[in-house]
Amino acid sequence: MSKNLNVWFFLSLIISLFVLIPIITVFSSFFDDTSNYYVILKETFLIEYIINSSILLFFVLLLTFLLGTGTAYLVSFYNFPLSNFFKWALILSFAVPPYIYAYSLTAFFENYGTAYTILKSLFGDNNYNQNIPKFDGMFGAILSITFSLYAYVYILARASFLYQSQNLIELGKNLGFSKFKSFYKIILPAARPAIVAGLSLVAMETLAEFGAVDFFSINTLTTGIYNSWIAFDDLAFANRISFFLLIFIFALFIIENFSRKNAKYHFNNRGGFKQKEKFKLSGSNSFFAFIFCFFVFFMSFLFPLSQMLYWTIKFPENFFDLQIFDLLMNTLYLVVLSSFILIIFSLVSNYGNRVSNNKILNIFSTLSISGYAIPGVILAIAFISFIAWFDESIVKSLGLYSIKKIFIGSILGLVMVYFIRFYSLAFNGIKSGYEKINISVDESSYLLGYSKRKTFMNIHVPFLRNSLLFIAILISLEIIRELPITLILRPFNFETFATTAYISASEDLLEAAAVPSLFLILIAASFIIITSKYILRDNDK
Amino acid sequence: MTNKNFFEIENVDFYVGGKAKVKDVSFKIENEGDIICLLGPSGIGKTTILRTIAGLEKIDNGSITLNGRIISSNKINIEPEDRNISLAFQDNSLFPHYTVEKNILLGAERNKEKKDKKISLKQIVDLLDIFHILNKYPHQISAGEAQRASLARSLITQPDLLLLDEPLSNVDQSFKEEIQVRLKKILNQLKITTIIVTHDSYEAFYLGTKCGIILDQQLKQFDDPYKVYHFPNSVEVVNFLNRGILIPAKVTGKNTLENWDLGTIEGNFIKEYPTGSNVQLLLQPEDLEHDDTSNLKLEVVDRKFRGTNFIYTLKTPSNTLIPVFVHSHHIHQHEVDEKFGIKRPIHIDHIVCF
Repeated sequence: MSKNLNVWFFLSLIISLFVLIPIITVFSSFFDDTSNYYVILKETFLIEYIINSSILLFFVLLLTFLLGTGTAYLVSFYNFPLSNFFKWALILSFAVPPYIYAYSLTAFFENYGTAYTILKSLFGDNNYNQNIPKFDGMFGAILSITFSLYAYVYILARASFLYQSQNLIELGKNLGFSKFKSFYKIILPAARPAIVAGLSLVAMETLAEFGAVDFFSINTLTTGIYNSWIAFDDLAFANRISFFLLIFIFALFIIENFSRKNAKYHFNNRGGFKQKEKFKLSGSNSFFAFIFCFFVFFMSFLFPLSQMLYWTIKFPENFFDLQIFDLLMNTLYLVVLSSFILIIFSLVSNYGNRVSNNKILNIFSTLSISGYAIPGVILAIAFISFIAWFDESIVKSLGLYSIKKIFIGSILGLVMVYFIRFYSLAFNGIKSGYEKINISVDESSYLLGYSKRKTFMNIHVPFLRNSLLFIAILISLEIIRELPITLILRPFNFETFATTAYISASEDLLEAAAVPSLFLILIAASFIIITSKYILRDNDK
Repeated sequence: MTNKNFFEIENVDFYVGGKAKVKDVSFKIENEGDIICLLGPSGIGKTTILRTIAGLEKIDNGSITLNGRIISSNKINIEPEDRNISLAFQDNSLFPHYTVEKNILLGAERNKEKKDKKISLKQIVDLLDIFHILNKYPHQISAGEAQRASLARSLITQPDLLLLDEPLSNVDQSFKEEIQVRLKKILNQLKITTIIVTHDSYEAFYLGTKCGIILDQQLKQFDDPYKVYHFPNSVEVVNFLNRGILIPAKVTGKNTLENWDLGTIEGNFIKEYPTGSNVQLLLQPEDLEHDDTSNLKLEVVDRKFRGTNFIYTLKTPSNTLIPVFVHSHHIHQHEVDEKFGIKRPIHIDHIVCF
């Protein structure tokens, strides 16, 4: 009976439609003409792109599963030296994007690199280069992405382990299972939805990864899209590869959503949760647990951080050459502007969905949150395609001035695409905050004489305040690390820490990439530390 | 439009998700301060009726009038915030980020403009015994306490019409009767017209000036509690109240019936039936009296101890199971399979037949 087509409904609909622009563009461009590049590429590289993407995906999933689940299991169920420290330290890897990890890996193991310097200072001059392993190419890309992304699996698996009922663990003991048998017969299957959800996120990020694979010159579908645009100026073909990649990603997206729905099952069962007592490890078990967690923490965070710190100190001239203050201001400018806009619009959209309770709007909202699954490269190129089409077909036919410059290579365009990319993060974050407010709370508010606007301002916004702050920091973290969108759409002479690091690295000036990389890691790490409690969901207790 | 009734629902269909839950409902509250209880099984649409009256759902036909003003019809729909109707939800609808005290005070804000404030925060807090939770947040209190806090917030608004959805369903049984007494007292004292939805017939019979029984998508009966209990107007109401059985009988005279197992039954018919007609007689537990000297003896198949009384279930020669009420101080207790005497002649004050 309630068909509330009010102003909130239309605002929400417009926001959802805007976010859907790139997807519509990619799908509609499937029928466009492409250049000869398509024929050449189809016969030569397309198979290579698909094979490389698949190999990368397989090994990253395997390794992130082992690292993420292994560390989560240890810190959730056992007490060993520094286990409480590792609990949150293991998520610091989020501060190191795969491309910066790739720079560190190369800088350390390359000929006459850091490893060589260490060996030389310890054992004197010798030709160590032939004995130092080289982590480049596909292997380097797999390692870089794994150590940067395993925390997705770690966080979700840990949350699931943490909320597993004590009864379940006791049941295993009762049945006489060993620790190992309890793990793979009871604990792991119960956490499966959460782990699958974590792996799906890793899969989407891996397929979308641009910086690291580009640095190691691995041709994947994502770099293929970028190259077909930058080298061959063929937007239609770029969109066509995007189409194939999107089909792949949507399958993952559906799996992730499906798993997440089940994963919810583990959380917030009021009264059903009983804090597990951790088992204290001793002797060799304690030592191996510590070593494993320390290895993962060291490799994922300390190693890239110290490599970048080392180079910054070793080549101080790079520090003074860079306009650090300008880079900081540019980065903060984008972060604050984008977070603010994203939060305001996501709030409006969520509220619109809530008060309208309209099926059509629900469908559009569900589709519009798929933005996070779409690689930044696709979004940026689809956005350019859309603006080009809009300019040609509508603006010019009306005899107006071209609008390309307003949207392409401008802060406005950049923020708009960030909006599309991170809309789901803001929308879902606010949505999960809203899910804690029973709809009868709104109705009580109306019955106490509050209007819809007053209910929104006086009841919802104060309640969501903490969630909003947390979401703003998460968005900031993503934008600081973001590379392809910024690279493609930034205004001329407008650089961030991420783009400066990328440009230096792509010009083979890895030492120069160290300073912006170090700043990026430090800022991101401080954001993670501030929000670690929320990220780890420890507040749900 | 003027209306002599304080509140009136006329021919309204109530919907949930586009589907009619309760159809063609009409009833009125003549006097300000009356308490109406709506009874019915779970999921029948009782809450929908309250939500619609509060303005949270719209209607397509009929009308709802409060204080002479139409508040809902197919053309008019006064927004919930403009109705001065308060609804206390069954589930926890307290604002989660405010303390209980702040929650209640938000209700008092609406009351600010009223010059003749009849009740203070302190009185309400004492009434519902919630002083100890005033500084707590909703997630720190029990479901029963949350329900009382929600009730306090609704009461303090002093609405024109108060709607209570299963207001005491989560309150401990030991405390429930006391709260019922206090609630009735305060509602009468403040003259707040109230509609209460409940599935607890004892609660409805105690609190209600009038009771409505909702069954099979209809308001089956709307009457005084006494009449609803003793003069149910349909077999469905009898079955819902579950306080008696229907047995076959033949009308043998102006004040008599004949049953194959029990013999002659006397009493006053509440509705006339022609002599010789076959009817279904409503037999309630208190209609039969125990008498071991009687020659009418039936077999005991079950005995339920209810504190103040026993309810025996007796089997007749034709295998009909009959409930009989006996005081718990009664010394002649009978075990299962023993014989139980029924006083003859059987006299029933008001005979209800279908």
